[in-house]
Amino acid sequence: MTDYFFSGARIIDPSQNLDEKRDLWVTNGKITFDRQDGEAVSVNASEMVIMPGMVDLRSHLHAPESLTSLSAAAAAGGYTAILTMPDARPPADNPGAVRLMQEKASKVGTIKFLQCGCLTKGSKGEELAPLGTLKEAGVVAVSDCPGSPQNTEIFVKGLEYASMFDLPVIEFPRDFSISPSGVAHDGPTSLKMGIGGYPRMAEELFVQRAITVSRNIHANIHLSSISSSGSVELIRDAKARGIPITADTTPHHLALTDEKILGYDANSKTMPPLREKSDRQAILEGVLDGTIDCICTAHEPCHEHEKQVEFDLAPSGIIGYETALSVVYSELSRHHKDPCRLIARIMSENPSRILKNPDRSIAEGAVADFVLFDPGKEWKYNARQGLSAARNSPFHNSLIKGSVEMTFSMGKKVYSVR
Amino acid sequence: MGLEELSVAEIECILRQAAKFKKDTSNPDCQTDNLKGKRIVNLFLEPSTRTRIAFEIAAKSLCADVISITGKSSSLTKGETLRDTAMNMQALGADAIVVRHSSAGSSLFLSHTIDAPIINAGDGAHEHPSQALLDIFTLQENLGSLKGKKITILGDILFSRVARSNLWGLSKMGAKVTLAGPSTLVPKQFEQMGAKVSHDLRESLADADAVMLLRIQHERQNSSHFPSLDEYTTMFGLTMERSEWLKPNAIILHPGPINRGVEIDSELADSSRAVILDQVKNGIAVRMAILFLCTNAIKRTEDD
Repeated sequence: MTDYFFSGARIIDPSQNLDEKRDLWVTNGKITFDRQDGEAVSVNASEMVIMPGMVDLRSHLHAPESLTSLSAAAAAGGYTAILTMPDARPPADNPGAVRLMQEKASKVGTIKFLQCGCLTKGSKGEELAPLGTLKEAGVVAVSDCPGSPQNTEIFVKGLEYASMFDLPVIEFPRDFSISPSGVAHDGPTSLKMGIGGYPRMAEELFVQRAITVSRNIHANIHLSSISSSGSVELIRDAKARGIPITADTTPHHLALTDEKILGYDANSKTMPPLREKSDRQAILEGVLDGTIDCICTAHEPCHEHEKQVEFDLAPSGIIGYETALSVVYSELSRHHKDPCRLIARIMSENPSRILKNPDRSIAEGAVADFVLFDPGKEWKYNARQGLSAARNSPFHNSLIKGSVEMTFSMGKKVYSVR
Repeated sequence: MGLEELSVAEIECILRQAAKFKKDTSNPDCQTDNLKGKRIVNLFLEPSTRTRIAFEIAAKSLCADVISITGKSSSLTKGETLRDTAMNMQALGADAIVVRHSSAGSSLFLSHTIDAPIINAGDGAHEHPSQALLDIFTLQENLGSLKGKKITILGDILFSRVARSNLWGLSKMGAKVTLAGPSTLVPKQFEQMGAKVSHDLRESLADADAVMLLRIQHERQNSSHFPSLDEYTTMFGLTMERSEWLKPNAIILHPGPINRGVEIDSELADSSRAVILDQVKNGIAVRMAILFLCTNAIKRTEDD
């Protein structure tokens, strides 16, 4: 096994409140700060940052992505643990499907695949999925993402029932009754384009529902992929009142607005949709002040031919692993002198905590699970040359700042930049 | 693709050409064979009578070969994508493809994959440029210059590509556009596109030089946009009585198909105020101009 020596890296680990420049060795897959004299690949990391591996709370395992390509793409983005949503085939609403996926992941996965089970059977929102059995089979959270139980009674019972097993519930807030088509954000841009169907209200009503339910039954709820300014306000107020909710947003909602869809490019069609400037600003503020706890990639691969159709007929979805860290760094560094600590918190520490998935620290003797990040490097993303099997990214050809240079997962080097 | 991106000069150029064709076609001695040997494909994937036939007649009047494909006869029912269908049309030698489709942006999408010129004959609720151009043509015939003229578009604006194209086009020609109808079909946000929004029928008719009625598109909306067609007629239907609110010389346009007794009284549709059939006739000349200019534009770049 190759050993590594990183000289003078800035090491950030929010779980231990660590932020200092140190030499770090990886010996036999484990981290040590004690000088090692054995043969090691030496990396001058004096301008670089080492952070715990990124953790993703929303990943959709759809064709053309395989577990192998998904592992490679995630590792290239500095991700070492990702939560796969239950809408895979077969859906993760029974222990057999969960175990099958684990078996496959254990064969080809170079990073940790964590599974999110269905909250309701087939995510249809009609009856609860067997949450206890799913937990025994290995799921670490439950959700109906990218849907949401429309029946509030089912939602409440699901939360009560899941809390018995200490299973985190992830809610993708969307009231389908006022967003049946959900093609685009309802605003001036879509009005002009003659599309729409996914108003802010559809999200905000269900964010409020989650807050009200959480307050009444004292259950933790994690809100996924927040896209609207009103939601940020609701969450901020709820947190101030001590209601146990957490929330995430995506790199694209932080970086883009619905102007991106003006040419009807389906690669910018996502769920929830890209919204207006004011929403993007509110999301940025929410991330900076801690209202929004995490960033999830919402990585949703699509075949190229699936996207090469009429905008309203194209499936929604954006891939995100290879750009997430850089896009978030680019955005936050515009408003924050040194966003690396914040990034380590919102892209690794907080999501890990929400999944109750501890032991990921950069400490003496710990298994190497970290990303080597070069904040100073600018690069142009080319979706066609990425490691993901899909290409549906709105960041294709964008110049972004900050580059993942190397990723270690489960003690092994799983990525290094070409 | 749409009137949003056309300049005033480009619109004027099309209208001038249309006027010329209108004159030429009314003269039996004058031959218009500008598109002889050209193959025009009408790819109509959404029901349409007027627009399709007008494009067919326009192409035939220019001596082009026209092939019309309608929703049911195409391969799309066999699962082929729009892109593949259009690429096949191109491979089969289409010199221009006229596209009507229920998805907004479908023409623009095709123009990115196909080299042959794509002519938008209506894409979802986005734009219907040839309709707006013939409306402007008809309005100019009746009102002269549109500078400072007040045009009210009444009806289902939200789902209307005709309203959007007219709003861009008329505003560019200097007219002041009021969009009128129930609040659920005429959201305030249209003001950001430069229109005045009104939910008061009387007010919106009183100072209009022309009123353009739009059909209520039952097929595009669910029941929540207004209670019933009866209620619509009661509140917003243009009746003989209400037409008294209009200025004496104000004209009435309608892109068709008309729902008599719903958005307009039958008698009013047949009255001298209505220029509905002139619109249809002008539609041919305007579409001749569009076909001629679009295929020629390509020729010129090839010569370069």
